[in-house]
Amino acid sequence: MHRDIFPAYHARSCHYNLLFPMKADTAIIARAVTKRYGSLTALDSFDLEVERGTIFALLGPNGAGKTTLIRILTTLMRPTSGEAFVSGLNTARQGREIRRQIGVVPQENSLDRYLTARENLELHARLHTMEPKKYRRRIDELLELFGLAGRQHDFPDTFSGGMQRRLVVARALIHEPMVLFLDEPTTGLDPQSRRAVWDYIRSIAGRMTIFLTTHYLEEAEQLCERIAIMDHGRLITIGSSAELKAQLTGGATYEIEFADRAELFAEALRRMSCVGSLEIADRVVTVKLERWECLAEVVSALNGAELRRISLREKTLEEVFISLTGKGVRE
Amino acid sequence: MNLRGAIAIWRRDMLVLRRSIFSELVAVVAYPLTIYLAFGIGMQGYIGPVDGVSYGLFIAPGLITMTAVNAAYNESVWSLWFHRKVQFTIESYRVTPISVSEIVIAKILSGFSHGLVKGLAVALVIFAITPFRFPLTSLVAYLAFLIPGSALFSCAGVISGTLMDKPETIGRVEAVLIMPLIFMSGLFFPLSSYPPAVASLVRLLPTTALFEGARQTLVNGSFSIPFSASLYLFAAAAFAAALLIFRSKLAE
Repeated sequence: MHRDIFPAYHARSCHYNLLFPMKADTAIIARAVTKRYGSLTALDSFDLEVERGTIFALLGPNGAGKTTLIRILTTLMRPTSGEAFVSGLNTARQGREIRRQIGVVPQENSLDRYLTARENLELHARLHTMEPKKYRRRIDELLELFGLAGRQHDFPDTFSGGMQRRLVVARALIHEPMVLFLDEPTTGLDPQSRRAVWDYIRSIAGRMTIFLTTHYLEEAEQLCERIAIMDHGRLITIGSSAELKAQLTGGATYEIEFADRAELFAEALRRMSCVGSLEIADRVVTVKLERWECLAEVVSALNGAELRRISLREKTLEEVFISLTGKGVRE
Repeated sequence: MNLRGAIAIWRRDMLVLRRSIFSELVAVVAYPLTIYLAFGIGMQGYIGPVDGVSYGLFIAPGLITMTAVNAAYNESVWSLWFHRKVQFTIESYRVTPISVSEIVIAKILSGFSHGLVKGLAVALVIFAITPFRFPLTSLVAYLAFLIPGSALFSCAGVISGTLMDKPETIGRVEAVLIMPLIFMSGLFFPLSSYPPAVASLVRLLPTTALFEGARQTLVNGSFSIPFSASLYLFAAAAFAAALLIFRSKLAE
């Protein structure tokens, strides 16, 4: 619906672009965005750019500032300083125009339990000033797409967590937004429901920019082309999953499976200077090498051993995340 | 200001009211009806005429008005609190292209509508069980008090529902502020019962303008312009305050 009116908004916001040169294919920009609550700084000169039409994930531990950033981008909150733009529109000055173009899936389901699934969608269509003829057809499509057509006249209280979440996503898509914000969309869902939500997100990818925050690193890895990690209100790193893993310094981790005498060879490996750490579980020895180049030394040390397997263990996004944000539990 | 968003939320509230209208009305009518049966009928013989009319007739306009304004207050306060703190629907409205003012207006309209519907229900019951009949002109004039009165209490409900984060605080406000204001304004007794100095202060209360003005209109057939004007002024001020407080709360 709003694709056709977007160029007009973009043209209107050109004077902002003179101040903050914005590429035509950029959907979201944050420039030195700072948000303070008294003495607490939730966002600290935060800079970010998200390309149009991509799926972007923002990761961070609890209290990192993810939700504050989403609230600023969705015009629910004003930054203390700095500026943010969504589809070329300034969040501080063009809130209503931005809200026409965005869909938001908040952390809480925020469904109206006194309205049926269909009535929930109808209410939001009216809030987006859609005409009945248009929204009735759109609601039929969405209910069908999200597998809720058979339950459209039931109240959300009677739905499973996964169905409620799907209804919230459907509600956010009712007006065909240009940018979809998903704040921890699968938190609390069972693996099946989580994968169903992923499938829906993938199915709509490309048609809109998707900005996602999540605690599930696998989710970010599965869905997103670009991933940013933030902590203490600051952006720490940004890139594709592979780029982030490549940033993880240090050597490689190998798993060596022995046919027998694993303890004996593990002891020999432990004495080697280039072995950083070593763990043994049954007949599998996991060694972390200081440098990958010392693999040759390891292989020499295993001379005479009956080996079943030597494999390189892939670095995980979780390792990147922990290495950047620390192991401490956040309140 | 575009009110399409406000109307959409008001329609939602009316749909929910329609679904539960019978159970709501039973609860709403029971309280004033019990008071009426106890005081207006049971105690009437012991109390005798007040200001030249039977005690039952004296308190009837106040009971109808009390039902309406209580319903307006309760709907606004609980609806706003529930949608803000429990269901988070206010948050979901705020990411659509409607303004914060439209949300406030919708909630005030909903409280006001609840007040009118429930006040009317009590009026019909009281008319059904008593011989009191009011001229049509008095009934129309009475609306000049009931409408701003319901709007005033609806705004008060929006303010409470915005400021109070705990449900028990909402209950306390009702117990220590709303009900005393209603009872002090001469719902069950004439203002002449107060010492003159106190009476002149009580006359300044918006609830006195509402209850005394409503009674004079229905029982005596006289229309008090000062009471009516004062009530509209209070309602306008409460509306401005509700808008301001709701906006600043959401900006926090």
